[in-house]
Amino acid sequence: MAALTLETLDLVNPDLYVQRGYPHEEWALLRKEAPVFRYVRPDVEPFWAITRHADVVNVSRQPDLFKSSQLLFVTQDEPGSPLPDEAVLRQLLNMNPPEHGEFRRVVNQRFTPRSVQQLKDQVERITTEVLDELVGREECDFVTEVSAKLPLAVIAEMFGIPRADWAMMFRLSNAMIGPADPEYGGSETIKENLEKARMEFFQYFNQLCEDRRKNPRDDLASALANGKAFGEPLPPFELFSYFALLIIAGNETTRNATTGGLHALISYPDQWERLKHDPSLAPKATEEIVRWTSPVIQFTRFATADTVLGGQQLREGDILVLFYPSAARDEEVFERPSVFDIGRYPNPHISFGIGEHFCLGANLARLELQVMFRQLAQRMEFVELAGPTQRMRSSFVGGIKHMPIRYRIRAR
Amino acid sequence: MRVVVDHNLCEGNGRCAEVAPQMFELRDDDRSYVRMQTPPQDLRAKIQLAVTLCPRQAIRLIED
Repeated sequence: MAALTLETLDLVNPDLYVQRGYPHEEWALLRKEAPVFRYVRPDVEPFWAITRHADVVNVSRQPDLFKSSQLLFVTQDEPGSPLPDEAVLRQLLNMNPPEHGEFRRVVNQRFTPRSVQQLKDQVERITTEVLDELVGREECDFVTEVSAKLPLAVIAEMFGIPRADWAMMFRLSNAMIGPADPEYGGSETIKENLEKARMEFFQYFNQLCEDRRKNPRDDLASALANGKAFGEPLPPFELFSYFALLIIAGNETTRNATTGGLHALISYPDQWERLKHDPSLAPKATEEIVRWTSPVIQFTRFATADTVLGGQQLREGDILVLFYPSAARDEEVFERPSVFDIGRYPNPHISFGIGEHFCLGANLARLELQVMFRQLAQRMEFVELAGPTQRMRSSFVGGIKHMPIRYRIRAR
Repeated sequence: MRVVVDHNLCEGNGRCAEVAPQMFELRDDDRSYVRMQTPPQDLRAKIQLAVTLCPRQAIRLIED
């Protein structure tokens, strides 16, 4: 293979992510030689690639200078792709202060550590049930049978969505986050995939909201349906966008951290033995898994004024891409960053982001991962890969679609 | 020095109360409150750590 150079390295081609996973060598080179790097390639919107932990923090904590926009992430232009402003919803990820805070307050009380702690028994029960279904067999697809099920069940229960509709939520959520992936799409073009999924989602949620306005309950759907921002009910498009955001975000990323976490534990058998020997390591293991997998690859910001960052002159309107998996392997912050160490402490990763847009569901994700990996450590006596893993075609979120495993699991 | 918690940002993640319990307390409304107006200098390092660790970057240390 040709040597890696700044001029030729590729960061946003979705096919690259299918074939090789995350471009850690590329990011390492950028952190070392060009941490604020002007990325100019054919068929890609030019941007500044931000790869160091300190710079990602610095940009994230100045939401007025570096704003979020309709452009959530940068990818290779492809025929049939939606235009950037067609592809997005109006939701927290592309809002700015003060609107962002106002909308975030509609639900944020339900995601505080205290609120999330009240879900613990529920998460334990769902996890146990999910693992029970593996008993009596020796092989399964860990993604569809385990890691996808827990987050979906938890967010669906929080919303008050009946169990009969969970499978549909799973399908639509996949189609909305991975419209460029042929397995999740099904239509002729990426744009059509997205529109079809969105329409179905929209109709379902409309009914749910109507019901919760008439019969409010103590669930997320009621909080949204009856929620207010700036003293007014949420407008329909914003309301739907909020729903889509929470369902998708509550689904995909935790799924991918779970899958990636088990993959890492299989790849580092000493760490798997360590966790089995001491399941109380699950909280630290969770932090390391989130650092290691960094399921969100990138979010963008744009500069609202000329400014200097990392010695580079940025112009007003320039796009910045924050690469979270790169920040998670920054040699200046983490000792031996390329080692998977489930006891790592301190572990100041920023894979949930930081500042204004810090992951709303971080506490929930942590709880789900902690419970899942503690139960796996207690029940799964043996596990290995039973075939090749298949990654999702996306340069936005790092997903594993299928991961066949061979295992032995204890009955309860 | 003075310490301010921005309650528009704070979501009660509680890292501050973990690393500097003398300075921050998490109350029933899931927000962090400062325990004193003018903290002693020997708390500076811990407060700095809380500022850095806050996931929402809601804490500011203001020099007099």
